Amino acid sequence: MRIMAYEALDFYDVDSLLTEEERMVRDMVRDWVDEEVIPNIEIACREGVFPDEWRVALGEMGVLGAPLKGYDCPGLSYTAYGVICRELERGDSGLRSFASVQGSLAMYPIWDFGSEEQKNHYLPKMASGEWIGCFGLTEPDYGSNPGDMITKAEDMGDHYLLNGAKMWITNGTIAELAVVWAKLDGVIRGFIVEKNDPGFSAPEMKGKHSLKASVTSELVFQDCKIPKDRILPGVKGLRGPFSCLNNARYGISWGALGSAQACFDSAKDYAMSRIQFNHPIASYQLVQNKLSWMLREITKGQLLAYHLGKKKDSGTWIPEHISLAKMNNVDIALEIARVARDIHGANGILDEYPIMRHMANLESVKTYEGTHDIHNLIIGRHITGIQAFTREA
Amino acid sequence: MNITVLLKQVPDTTAKITISDGKVDENSVSKWSMSPYDEYALESGLQLKEKTGGNLIAITCGPERAKKMLTDAAAVGADTLVHISNDGVTDSTHVQKLLAAAVKKFDSQIVLCGKQAADTNGGSTGPGVAELIGAACVTLVSEVNYSEGNFSTIRPSNSGTEKVAVDGLSVFAFDKGTSELRRPNVRGIMMAKKKQVESITSGDLGVILNSSNVALNSQNPPPEKPAGQKFEGAEHVNEVVSKLRNEANVI
Amino acid sequence: MDFTIIAETNGDSLHPTTYQLIGAAASMGSNSTVICPNGVGASEAAKINGVEKVISATGDCFNIFDGGAWASAMSSMCGEMTLISASPNGREIGARIAAKKDIPIIQDVVSMSEGITVNRPIYSGKAMESLTISGSAVITLRPNAFEAASTGNDAPINVVDQSADVKIAIQEAINKASERLDVTEADIIISGGRGMGTIENFSHLEEIADTIGAAVGASRAVVDEWGMPHRMQVGQTGKTVTPSLYIAVGISGAIQHLAGMRSSKYILAINKDPDAPIFGVADYGIVATWEDAIPALKSSLSELQS
Repeated sequence: MRIMAYEALDFYDVDSLLTEEERMVRDMVRDWVDEEVIPNIEIACREGVFPDEWRVALGEMGVLGAPLKGYDCPGLSYTAYGVICRELERGDSGLRSFASVQGSLAMYPIWDFGSEEQKNHYLPKMASGEWIGCFGLTEPDYGSNPGDMITKAEDMGDHYLLNGAKMWITNGTIAELAVVWAKLDGVIRGFIVEKNDPGFSAPEMKGKHSLKASVTSELVFQDCKIPKDRILPGVKGLRGPFSCLNNARYGISWGALGSAQACFDSAKDYAMSRIQFNHPIASYQLVQNKLSWMLREITKGQLLAYHLGKKKDSGTWIPEHISLAKMNNVDIALEIARVARDIHGANGILDEYPIMRHMANLESVKTYEGTHDIHNLIIGRHITGIQAFTREA
Repeated sequence: MNITVLLKQVPDTTAKITISDGKVDENSVSKWSMSPYDEYALESGLQLKEKTGGNLIAITCGPERAKKMLTDAAAVGADTLVHISNDGVTDSTHVQKLLAAAVKKFDSQIVLCGKQAADTNGGSTGPGVAELIGAACVTLVSEVNYSEGNFSTIRPSNSGTEKVAVDGLSVFAFDKGTSELRRPNVRGIMMAKKKQVESITSGDLGVILNSSNVALNSQNPPPEKPAGQKFEGAEHVNEVVSKLRNEANVI
Repeated sequence: MDFTIIAETNGDSLHPTTYQLIGAAASMGSNSTVICPNGVGASEAAKINGVEKVISATGDCFNIFDGGAWASAMSSMCGEMTLISASPNGREIGARIAAKKDIPIIQDVVSMSEGITVNRPIYSGKAMESLTISGSAVITLRPNAFEAASTGNDAPINVVDQSADVKIAIQEAINKASERLDVTEADIIISGGRGMGTIENFSHLEEIADTIGAAVGASRAVVDEWGMPHRMQVGQTGKTVTPSLYIAVGISGAIQHLAGMRSSKYILAINKDPDAPIFGVADYGIVATWEDAIPALKSSLSELQS
């Protein structure tokens, strides 16, 4: 028997705007998260593992690389992709990170910048979940400033030689392939590195307090030899990685709402049940103020995400639109998680409740895919025309 | 082979039911779903379809919104989707007549349904349809199997379960089935979107819906529960057990 | 209005609900004709007050339960109003008789009055429906919702041999050790907490569960500390359940446990601590040790069953 169906907070009925296809995709992922993810996520988090069954299930459902068309990819709308991210992240941000990296950061660059051979070789197996991909841009010393990266590729005639290291790479240790951005003659290019390529290793980064049910890795290239046909021919410069990041950031703007909804639901249920001074704490004004604020921010965030989805689907978007939504929705989600923890009192620190797991996860989500401050400056530059990222002109 | 599954769309079993003006307010239902026992019937039908290479026909009698449920059935593999409008339907007898006529029209070799719908909680449809089409009916089944041209099923017995064979066209009414319910996937959803729902009326089926001699007076909230009662000492156990039977009607 | 009753049986004798069916007809001011399928309980039925006559319906068609064959054999003997128990078999026979006679069927009725007006639960008990029947119909009555008729009668018994096509055959009996119900499926759950003392003491709860067809649940403390299987855990990190009756034994009622069971229709709490929070949500609370209350509960429930 299906277990109790989840009803998400949707105060302004934004989901009523979804197409029937988007609704059916939503319900498919939502039911799966209820049945397979939520009952198991706390154990996965405690043990620090990403259950392989989830990779299999995501592949079977056919949601990986959601908005990509052709090559056995789903070919769904961007709105559907957003909905998928939201439903996954209601379960856990680490789960949604897996899907974001696979779809937007590993499949997408091959789809947009790869050769026909590369697309036919990699995309179908990535869509089915058989091959996991990851995205190597960030380096130990180059995070917000990827343009100055030092990972280098040298043209050795019959192969490329990669040297350098990437850090904070989701899926790295479990991936069959990595889309790695490195400088070839001073120009950033994309390279597909496969896990057995000589000179390549992907050790797991341990000791995380956040995204514990997700695999985070280093990618280490020590005279790593890769065949010439592994370069992505279709793009040069930062446009390559940034195109990928735009897609992932878009998904995150929806995803964060899933996390916020999970925290809101838990806080509301808890406030209605917890009796202190003979009354449920939901009857006290300060608690109601908090719940009301959460509803307000989630509703605003939903409208932002939905409209952005429409702009993505109609091609009328610019990267700054995505910066706004990612920044806003992640920011409010993290605040909602913190306030929700407060409402739960001491109980909120236990993994009986999902609150602190979401809260800790959202610290990463606020930092990756462009920190909050960087997106802030992206919008500032858009308003003023003046870049305020660096001290140089 | 035509495998017919009778489905009903009901308020989700976790949805709150609001009553206004002596009637359940359907507009306030936040989520509509396939009736849970029907889901097991559909899963069984899909397995039979895979085994026999047959055609799965999903039939529902209901309002317009029930067509969405048929699309959900298509997403997991239903081939033919039939919506019978429930205009003029006032009771179970009407539903049975319409479904029976549709079962005949679509030339079914087997009929699967849930043992009872989650809203009306009756259990009349399966056996009633069987009677109208002159078929056998087995209720509370947990699985249906096909082998060498014959269907057999598992139903409860006094000492466990029993395997039962049927003669001729039969209706199987499902309790919770032994199989896991399959999930749709994106490919199924996209193909389902393209599937037409065939809409038919009582007129198309040649069924006349006579006025019924049952009239609905009202639908009301359940009787108020008495306030919580607390008793000191195990000597009150008998009294409490009587209350559970006579006051609460739960045992 | 004449009432025909199809007797409900339990092995070789009448099931208590048959007395309730006869009592229900009597409450409408009417005697009834009782049909006993396969003749089971015919002489017993003849002794029930309110029975005008008993028809002992015999024939090979009653050897196994084939709802279609049974309905076919009995429907011609049914009069204007037919009452049957809302048991699984009763509902099936009722639906087939109604369809055969082209009359309405109303299932699972919990009260009946002049009119004939009946009430029945809908939406799994979240609402009640009131209907008025102005002609012939088949009604199935919920067990234990109606007063049983008394005995002292001596009605005549007619044996009528019937035949009907049986389309069902039993191929194989599978006598499996009945698996106890899972907490998410059961209509009644009996759950134990730390107050049960040891995991071995759960056997007492299991006995009760077997008596009334309930599932056994557990609080998180018992699962974490005594190794009870996790699938039995009810609560915030276990299952959320919505049975008609939740019996909480030796469970204090911490918020995490309540999260999993507070939507139960009725809650009976047994705890030796009168201040246990569980009493705040219980419909019926008994302040007692499980050692005192559980044996009493077991015998009380067993008596009820017979």
